[in-house]
Amino acid sequence: MSSGAPSSLADPAVLRARRTEDVVVGDEIVRHRLASRVIHWSVALLFFLALFSGLPIWTPVLGWMAHLLGGLNVCRWLHPWAGLLFFLAMAAMFVHWLGDMRLEPPDREWLRPRKMVEYMKHEGDEAEVGKYNGGQKLFFFAVALGAAGLIVSGLVLWFPLSFPRMASELATLLHDLTFILFVVAVVLHVYLGTAAEPGTFHSMVRGTVTRRWARFHHPRWYREVTGERPRHP
Amino acid sequence: MPQTLEIRRSSASLWGEKTGMRHLPVVAKYIDTTTCIGCKACEVACQEWNDLGPVPTVQTGTYQTLPNLHPEFWNLIRFNERETDKGFAWLMRKDQCMHCEDPGCLAACPSPGAIVQYANGIVDVNPAQCIGCGYCETGCPFDVPKFHQKTGKMAKCTLCVDRVGVGLEPACIKACPTACLQFGTKDDMVARGRSRVEALKANGFDHAVLYDPPGVGGTGVVTVLAHGDHPEWYGLPRDPRVSPLLRLWKSVLRPLGAVAMLGTLFAAVGHFMYQGPKEPREGA
Ligand code: HEM
Ligand code: SF4
Repeated sequence: MSSGAPSSLADPAVLRARRTEDVVVGDEIVRHRLASRVIHWSVALLFFLALFSGLPIWTPVLGWMAHLLGGLNVCRWLHPWAGLLFFLAMAAMFVHWLGDMRLEPPDREWLRPRKMVEYMKHEGDEAEVGKYNGGQKLFFFAVALGAAGLIVSGLVLWFPLSFPRMASELATLLHDLTFILFVVAVVLHVYLGTAAEPGTFHSMVRGTVTRRWARFHHPRWYREVTGERPRHP
Repeated sequence: MPQTLEIRRSSASLWGEKTGMRHLPVVAKYIDTTTCIGCKACEVACQEWNDLGPVPTVQTGTYQTLPNLHPEFWNLIRFNERETDKGFAWLMRKDQCMHCEDPGCLAACPSPGAIVQYANGIVDVNPAQCIGCGYCETGCPFDVPKFHQKTGKMAKCTLCVDRVGVGLEPACIKACPTACLQFGTKDDMVARGRSRVEALKANGFDHAVLYDPPGVGGTGVVTVLAHGDHPEWYGLPRDPRVSPLLRLWKSVLRPLGAVAMLGTLFAAVGHFMYQGPKEPREGA
């Protein structure tokens, strides 16, 4: 193939996003390379599979979900396997993103309650926000912890008869508490990743964001990737 | 599931199934451990009536057929030797489902209708609805329901619901040669038990009791124990009750969790309507 001119009609940014991230391609910046996106959507898919097969076992109010999956018997079989695969995908995601998620001083600042309220009111000062903000990093570690809690309690509930009675009772409580907090966090995560912040969902689908998006939401990352000096010092 | 019996309560069900149309007395088994001779006729009758397999016996060094109840063996004479205040004694107790008034198995079961309690108090498993999760076994304070590897379902004593429903007594009762097993309304069986306990006390068994534990609302099996101060000698829990942890998650954590999850969903929608999407203003 000749060098120089693009060899295909596809968006060059999307092509770059297959392998690399944190690079500028024309007006776009590659934010999530293909591997990141595949891992993320595996986690999300398996999470919802486990959720929808687990909820009808949790309460008969949601028994109708079981019918979508072929009945409660199917759920009882499917749920632990989906949960196990979810955990493995989470483990992959943890290793994959750990490097990007180290909490730095500006993140700790971001995580102060007053700052988070300002963030939700769109009044925050985001100048020092890198590739991920403090909230995203917190979410990352929270779901990692949650996944650990779910797998430990889930294994007990998978084979309740192999453990002392007290263990399976405590496992039920732990599994419940963890998944409830998990769902609360995921609802917020999905909201922030879609409707609340336009352009973000695109980054997890096609891999790229606009310069404008990056400068607005993650200015320090923008400066690092583009080498540009900040507009408002 | 016999249509002759009305369902009083059913696992994981939102609305009660009770219609109140049929007036069925609550039934009970009466077991007098002091006159049981350990002949195991009830064990055989149970296997026969319920068409359960021969289960190979396990030698435990006692006169007990198996170490524990089994998915194909629902009636077990437990055998214990004890040094009592009346000297050395062989204690034999017929073990089976106790048919609790407030069944822990039913409370723990997540599958609608897999465990039902009929209006006459009998607690039954419906294999068609059973998903084999094993929660009833952890929920039962008497360790009765047993998971069957072969069928993937739970199984236990039905109190011969198929016999009782047509006016017969349970097979075990029918087979007992000493009349230490009897069957009738719960009120009658409790009265019989009380008078037997009085007789035992008059004979110097000061600690005799009728075991009908209030922690589970009483049971559909009332048991006369000569050494009632030591129910554990007979393999019975001292104060069986439905686990408070189970109640905690079913009646507190579950509604709170639902509110938390739905609340977050509404909060997100509300936030979006109030605040709108976060985008750079033109020229930013
Ligand atoms: C339909 C469901 C989901 C949607 C729409 C969604 C969307 C997104 C988006 C757009 C991003 C990129 C954020 C950015 O580039 O700044 C992201 C990141 C991430 N997602 Fe999801 N996600 C979903 C489900 C999940 C689930 C179930 C998990 C479970 C753990 C999860 C874990 C993460 C993590 C840890 C990150 C990186 C940190 C962060 O951005 O908060 N996602 N997600
Ligand atoms: S003894 Fe166990 S299995 Fe029988 S009704 Fe009570 S809780 Fe259920």
